[in-house]
Amino acid sequence: MKMQTLIGPAVISLLVALFTGCASSGIKNPSGIGVTEMRADEKGFVAGTGVESQDLVAVTDKMARSILDTPQIKSAQNPPVIVLDPVVNETRFPINKDMFLTRIRLMLNSKSAGKVQFLARDRMAALEHERDLKRSGQVTSSNDPNVAEFKGADFFLTGKLQSLTTRNSRGISDYVLYSFQLVDARTSAIIWEDGAEIKKQGLEDAAYR
Amino acid sequence: MKMLASCLVGVLSVGCATTQSDQGWQRTGDPVVDGKAAIEHGPKRDRVLWEYRAAAAAMRRGQFAEAKPLLDDALVTLGGIYGPDKEARRARGYFSPEAKKTFIGEPYERVMAYYYRGILYWFDGELDNARACFRSAQIMDGDAENKSYASDYVLLDYLDGLATARLGGDGSDASKRAEAEARMTKPPEYDLKANVLFFVEFGNGPLKYATGHYGEELRFRPGYSAVRSVQIKVDGQAARAEPYDDLTFQATTRGGRVKTATDTAGNAAIISGAILAGQQDRHSVADEVGVGLLAAGVITKIFSAATTPAADTRAWDNLPQYLSFASTQLRAGAHTVTVEFLDAGGRPMANLTRTVRINVSDPARDTVVFVSDKNQ
Repeated sequence: MKMQTLIGPAVISLLVALFTGCASSGIKNPSGIGVTEMRADEKGFVAGTGVESQDLVAVTDKMARSILDTPQIKSAQNPPVIVLDPVVNETRFPINKDMFLTRIRLMLNSKSAGKVQFLARDRMAALEHERDLKRSGQVTSSNDPNVAEFKGADFFLTGKLQSLTTRNSRGISDYVLYSFQLVDARTSAIIWEDGAEIKKQGLEDAAYR
Repeated sequence: MKMLASCLVGVLSVGCATTQSDQGWQRTGDPVVDGKAAIEHGPKRDRVLWEYRAAAAAMRRGQFAEAKPLLDDALVTLGGIYGPDKEARRARGYFSPEAKKTFIGEPYERVMAYYYRGILYWFDGELDNARACFRSAQIMDGDAENKSYASDYVLLDYLDGLATARLGGDGSDASKRAEAEARMTKPPEYDLKANVLFFVEFGNGPLKYATGHYGEELRFRPGYSAVRSVQIKVDGQAARAEPYDDLTFQATTRGGRVKTATDTAGNAAIISGAILAGQQDRHSVADEVGVGLLAAGVITKIFSAATTPAADTRAWDNLPQYLSFASTQLRAGAHTVTVEFLDAGGRPMANLTRTVRINVSDPARDTVVFVSDKNQ
């Protein structure tokens, strides 16, 4: 075999390899993707192993339904008065934990047709200021402002978020336990408790490991 | 033959060439301004890198509101990196440098992003979110090749336990872990009545460089610090902040990635081909086979020249070398705090002593002071 006969195929091989080597596998959506509107309970295409909107929706929907099934709420003569006590976040995820109770309140207020009543304790400063203005006669009042009318709570709605994490060279796994309770404000008895568990796993590209 | 070689070189140098675009922003020397400009105009893959750098610089200036969104955005990227990633896949290939991937940093850099965010949550009185950040930071360090170096940041466990104890829980497990992990100084017992917390850092952290024939091996240049500890004086009290964590140690005990080069087969083929061709008479079968191998070797060598397996040396280059912490109890009101950075002999270093006015106004909430030898 002559050297020239070897060089010919070698050059062709080289050129083929060069072109395939430099070619990208095809860029999808080269101009990006426009804003996509999604439902809050949908898993988006950008996802992590942490607490996400679909978890929040699933958990709070379940809790709201469960609360309404509680005998103390279902068969109450008068709507029980509930105060929100901040959720405790013991997970590894920094989150706006108030969103859980806010959404449970929202669901109960909008869907339960007045079966429960929530107190706006987070607005107490503004409410007290208004009451003081009425008491001092600086603003009008439709009833006697000196009578204490701020309601007390029958129940506290609270919760806790806890997590377990496993990480190794193959990826990460996060388990989150969401637990919520209704506590009787008079007796401290837990009259209702329910929870939800969500486990997620993610595998990073080897380039990040 | 020469002409063929020239053509090949021409094809190689032109075929894969890309145009280097302008970076689109001007450096001003101000790390926060430059960082923001780079985030806006620079390559998307470097966004997190600039967010890290700008956030650290902002914190040292006391611009905590500036640092917060930078870290939040970086952590969102960091937390959503799972799954197929085209850039990362490409970065693993021979024909693309590793730095083509979206930067999220090595574990010690990811840890620091969570650590700084944790401090900022503590500033805001959100101790559970601060604790969440310290826990996530420790998880970022959980994938060390040698498991005895996994999740071994003293301060992260210490602060996890302190936050838990302050929230009414039992922080003793985390405290014990912190004590067991301490390689330099054992952290003090929790002072649950302390209402002023000093998050302390000093020195210059590790940097990255590449070694190996193709720069395919990631290495760390050790950080350094003339400062060895910090003394905090306020209202006649003195608190000492000794280093608990060393970022160079953390960077180098985690193990690094090495991209495999293609050159070994090329050299072997050239050597064996040359030997075969040299040992036989002209035009023999062995000679022709030898020449064939030589040609294949040259081609592989050319391929090697076209490969770019260089390791990713982009680094969060304004990290400290040491992390520390101290706390004290002060009555509500204004206080003047003097911070002295001490050398190895325990002497205050010239030009580094700082005086800070703090206002302990709300006993229900901690006053958090961020202390750095680079505070501005």
